[in-house]
Amino acid sequence: MKLNFLFPNEFKKIGWIILIPSAIIGLVTLIYNYEPTFLDFNVPAIFIDKFSLSDEKQLFGTVSNNILNEILGILIIISSLLVAFSKENVEDEYISKIRLESLVWAVYFNYGILIFSFLLIYDFSFLWVMIFNMFTVLLFFIIRFNWQISKLKISAYHEE
Amino acid sequence: MKNSIKVERAKKNITQAELAKLAKVSRQTINAMELGKYVPSTVLTLKLAQIFEVEISEIFTLEDSDWV
Repeated sequence: MKLNFLFPNEFKKIGWIILIPSAIIGLVTLIYNYEPTFLDFNVPAIFIDKFSLSDEKQLFGTVSNNILNEILGILIIISSLLVAFSKENVEDEYISKIRLESLVWAVYFNYGILIFSFLLIYDFSFLWVMIFNMFTVLLFFIIRFNWQISKLKISAYHEE
Repeated sequence: MKNSIKVERAKKNITQAELAKLAKVSRQTINAMELGKYVPSTVLTLKLAQIFEVEISEIFTLEDSDWV
């Protein structure tokens, strides 16, 4: 029980502070396809398979790329991990049980939606599913876990 | 499993919050145990017995449904 792979409690707040703005900016830049030119760089890459006339394939090399979506994607993933997996104020055995149950629920829910999308969403629209699916397991977990915890807090508050 | 945490707590005249502090768990956990929604670990069971200064079997009792 001592090793639980969780971050200290203070990291939860830091996670929220990074997550909310990066998620909003990420969504807006994705929808409006915003790519500021000052973030265009030649970056190192592996498994290059350029979608162009030359049909160029390389194992290693460099590609020109706008790095805004990389920055935002990494920020969203790291901050979601902090929000999801920072300890609660008192991280005891019952909270850990709720954490596990919420994680199981989130994985089921996420893949349920993915199966549903496999069957009903095709072509370019499916690209959107893939983009969102990169983040939704953590998002569903965060929503479910915090909802369960707040339900408990309310029920414990009414008791006294 | 049934428990008499609430009764023991009343005998000692302490609140859920105070018991939570003594056992080093959250108040939600005490509440969930009293409502029978959560079965505590052996460690927490032993802690509660020590706090209430009684035997474990005086606080916790098995029910028929535990054998199903």
